[in-house]
Amino acid sequence: MKQSELYKTKVCIADKHFIHRLGVKTILSVIGIEPDLYEADTFISTMSCLKDVEGIKFAVVAQDILDPDMNESILKLKAINQDIKLLVVCDDCCKCQTNALFILEEDTRQQVLEKFQSFFYDDNEENTESNSDLLSEREVDVLKAVALGYSNKEIAEKLFISINTVISHRKNITEKLGIKTIAGLTVYAVMNDLIKPENVKG
Amino acid sequence: MIQEYKMNNNLPFTPKTKMADVIHLDYRLIPIIGRFGIDFGFSNKTVKEVCDDYKINVCFFLEIINSYHNHEYFPHAELQNFKASLIVDYLSNTHAYYLNVKVPEIEGYIAQIKKEVSIENLKNIELLSNFFSEYKAELVNHLNREDTLVFPYISFLEETLKHRNFTANVVHKIKEESIEHYARHHENMELKLSDLKNLIIRHLPPIVCKEICQKLLTELFRLEADLEDHSRIEDKVLVPKVMLLEQQILEASETE
Repeated sequence: MKQSELYKTKVCIADKHFIHRLGVKTILSVIGIEPDLYEADTFISTMSCLKDVEGIKFAVVAQDILDPDMNESILKLKAINQDIKLLVVCDDCCKCQTNALFILEEDTRQQVLEKFQSFFYDDNEENTESNSDLLSEREVDVLKAVALGYSNKEIAEKLFISINTVISHRKNITEKLGIKTIAGLTVYAVMNDLIKPENVKG
Repeated sequence: MIQEYKMNNNLPFTPKTKMADVIHLDYRLIPIIGRFGIDFGFSNKTVKEVCDDYKINVCFFLEIINSYHNHEYFPHAELQNFKASLIVDYLSNTHAYYLNVKVPEIEGYIAQIKKEVSIENLKNIELLSNFFSEYKAELVNHLNREDTLVFPYISFLEETLKHRNFTANVVHKIKEESIEHYARHHENMELKLSDLKNLIIRHLPPIVCKEICQKLLTELFRLEADLEDHSRIEDKVLVPKVMLLEQQILEASETE
């Protein structure tokens, strides 16, 4: 699974606890992201990280470094870096839903992984909006697996996503490419050098 | 039943329409008319006169061309009134047309493109060519199954009912190999064709031999439209009709 464009992504992880930051790093590597990491353990150091690190676009922030008025803290972070996307780990969802994505206490392992995925990968889709025919990185991963002959279940396990997510990716792929059959998707994938024909499962 | 058959006079083609005008109005009907074994040189003859010359059931002919001409018009009930053998004959001729005319034509275009295409695009054409071969294999398989199993079964049912020859064997056959079983497995043959079209239209890098590629694409569209019409007759006319035949035989065998 290559996410070459994301290798250079810069991510700030802001949490008081070392062990929490380690947990976030683990999840990043599970979903296939190996960014340049910037760790912060206070609100002040988070602010300076977002201000000083050039091109930083993502921050995973724990509630414990934010003020009791979470909403206001989030707006402050946004004000210092307008491009920043925030993923907030918290026990309760605050009001400013559009300014950040939230990971809640009750989220299961699967939901947490999916939120991380949509947090990092949806951004890619935004970048390719100008050419809506192009597939997102994630869709390319799914397409490759489909073209190689993997089942939905196998793809879900391979990419750490739910079967429903696989199905919805497949639906989008079919819509974008106008190709419905697996054999047709395989031709497309080989045509575009996404897979090698000899690797296709019999 | 057929003698009493009343044509809807609001349709574009009636028994009194000149056969030449049928083609002038809709040239897509050329292969359909050919499938009935009708040759050109109609002079001023009407549809009825030409059909009489060829001993073709004019009502059936008209329903087929009217429904092909206008997709909104699909007289399943009327079509179901015709003898199953008439429908089966038409469908077998259609099969022969696909296998002997359409498929070779498309293969010819693909082969021509392979010869003329640039090196960089050759890999892509090979892929499309293999894809079409796979499709062809499925199509041949599908049509052969109908020609050798399904159609003879239907003729057999019609003969059985005509001679009222309801043996236990017949009843067993209907119960074991009912048309419903076939209908469930009547998979959609058009999906791959539509994929092939899109691979060419949307994803094939620009090609040097544009004219042949355009012809290929046009033929794929024609084949697709024809197959759609064909499956429509199979699914909406033939299958319900055969189910009715099966039911009649089962009921009759119980009372006799």
